[in-house]
Amino acid sequence: MKPSFARKAIVTALIGGFAATASAQSEPIRIGVLTPLSGTYAALGQQVKWGIELATKEINDAGGIMGRKVELLFEDEEANPSVAVPKAEKLFQVSKVDFLTGTVNSASTLAVGQVAERNKRLIATTVSFSDAITGEKCSPNVFRVNAKAGQQSAALAEWLSKAKPNAKVFYLGPDYEMGRSTVAAFKSAAEKKNAQTVGEVFAPLGNKDYSPFFGQIRAARPDVMYTSVAGNDTVRLFTQMSQYGLLKNMTVVGASGTVTSQNVNAIGKAADGFVTGVGYSVDIDLPENKKFVAAFQAANKAAPDLYGADSYGVMYFYKAAVEKAKSTDTDKVRAAMSGLEWMTPQGKKTMRAGDHQAVQDMYTTRMTDGKFKILSKVPGEAAIGPDTCTKF
Amino acid sequence: MGGFVDTLQFVLVPQVINGLSIGVAVILMALGLTIIFGLLDVINMAHGEFYALGAYLGLSLAAAGVNFWLMLLLVPLITAPVGYALERVLIQRVFHHKDRHILTLLLTFGLSIVLEDMYKGFYGPQALSAATPIDGASEVAGLFFPNYRLFVMAIGSAIIVAVWLVVYRTSLGAMVRAAAFDKNMASSLGVPVSHVYAGTFAFGVALAALSGVLLAPIYSVFPTMGKDFILMAFSVVIVGGLGSIKGAVIAGLVLTQIQAISSLYISPSWTDPLVFAIMVAVLMVRPQGLFGRLGHA
Repeated sequence: MKPSFARKAIVTALIGGFAATASAQSEPIRIGVLTPLSGTYAALGQQVKWGIELATKEINDAGGIMGRKVELLFEDEEANPSVAVPKAEKLFQVSKVDFLTGTVNSASTLAVGQVAERNKRLIATTVSFSDAITGEKCSPNVFRVNAKAGQQSAALAEWLSKAKPNAKVFYLGPDYEMGRSTVAAFKSAAEKKNAQTVGEVFAPLGNKDYSPFFGQIRAARPDVMYTSVAGNDTVRLFTQMSQYGLLKNMTVVGASGTVTSQNVNAIGKAADGFVTGVGYSVDIDLPENKKFVAAFQAANKAAPDLYGADSYGVMYFYKAAVEKAKSTDTDKVRAAMSGLEWMTPQGKKTMRAGDHQAVQDMYTTRMTDGKFKILSKVPGEAAIGPDTCTKF
Repeated sequence: MGGFVDTLQFVLVPQVINGLSIGVAVILMALGLTIIFGLLDVINMAHGEFYALGAYLGLSLAAAGVNFWLMLLLVPLITAPVGYALERVLIQRVFHHKDRHILTLLLTFGLSIVLEDMYKGFYGPQALSAATPIDGASEVAGLFFPNYRLFVMAIGSAIIVAVWLVVYRTSLGAMVRAAAFDKNMASSLGVPVSHVYAGTFAFGVALAALSGVLLAPIYSVFPTMGKDFILMAFSVVIVGGLGSIKGAVIAGLVLTQIQAISSLYISPSWTDPLVFAIMVAVLMVRPQGLFGRLGHA
């Protein structure tokens, strides 16, 4: 039988009275994980959950953060800002989380960032690509540990200019913040390297049928298509393109979130040849990565992708910052995070103080028989681009 | 001039044909909805989840080695009893209540949430792909069309015609229409009304499930797939007239063509609001929809 709420409250009050002085030390550090557990981006949320749970288990087994255990509180964000905002509010105000992470949809990250500002708490995204998050819409309370669209585009454009000089490129993105910003970022990066733009179109998130766009694509006669759709949308886009014979004589390149370990099985052969710029690959030849991949595989019976790796990394980012600050106080942790260097499966990352964007080495990878193989590497400093944040 | 022919051939014609293939899919979904509403006066919010049920059942049968063509027969046969039982066990319980509309709406809405989570529990949240039973593409006047889409358009049209014939040309259909027109009179003339109700619900469920099997190779399979067509199908049913089969077919074709053609000139994201705006306009001018109800026309 569960103890009644009143009894629980009395017991808590009694214990609280005796233990008030000690509680700040022994109470767990609470971290909210607000991530899509259902809907179009459920597969991405699954990797976020796996990565965070693995790192949390390792941290707790090794004694926690400054002797305090880490407790995770999950909420389903449904990749929808209007769902994310009230749930973030609840995590901050009712659950009293010290830190929040997990948001996938870039619009959710931006919206939850404002909630964090009001609640004087910090958040970090491990997935959102939109450049605006650490650019024009940057926030002192928001950090990004994963590579943004601009970093991915820089790496991909570099590869494209060598593999297909003067390519005719068609763009297809999902019609929201992330889609528009990834397309804009790659377009500007590719045009600087002499690629020619022959058309662009934006499809609604969760679009069921892409065949209505194929007429426009055919009419433009591109030899390269760039896309930044993700999750289940990619399954449909690639399957339908293959059924319509569009994948013949055309190279498909795209955002790192377009083809992942979660949807590649459903896409099947249609995904072969897809090239992307990315901040993570299971093939990265570093001891940290080999250890991470083995542990992740053992815990989840599945390979990690970039979301799993970056979500794993964010826990060590927070741990390093709290230990440097010797506190979970927002201002002290923020100061500690700025310029922080910490270890991740991708090697050492640096949190740029000026815009709260992580600097890291970038790669281009190509899908071959269901696995991404590394094609080339671009050093972190070459891919990061200028700091455009003016708010702090 | 060359530019115009190019546009016509590469953009406009494929757009219209694609619109038709989406139209057939939407009509298949709308048919079940409109028949259930026309007869039972129940708005079935779980209709999309029965569509997903068919798709998932198809995946499981395929994994068990069942041939696709046999599946087209098996899935309706398996799901019809499920629909029959659900009507008898769940819907009949609240059917005679004075708040029937609200209660059945909430009941089927709740059912849709439970079903969606069951799919997530059994099959996982990620998208699964169904094998395409007919490979390849046909080239018509320099244009590629996947053979499977052509097949779905053909068989979908055949199913729509078959449903029409059953409802309007058979004695079974006459019983259904009689029960819809006046259930007391039909009952006193020996029509087993309660079985007709359950049977009609089962028919709607089986139709949705069959669409699920047919469309899975094109749209892939995942727990929330039921939401894909449901808003569009509801719009089609409302514009066509709740309970009207003819209305569903005509509105289905018109609305999907409006979407297909308009998406060439406006952002595809705006084609859904466009359809809903048409629905609002129809509701204001002709609240009963373009065509009459089942059993009334």
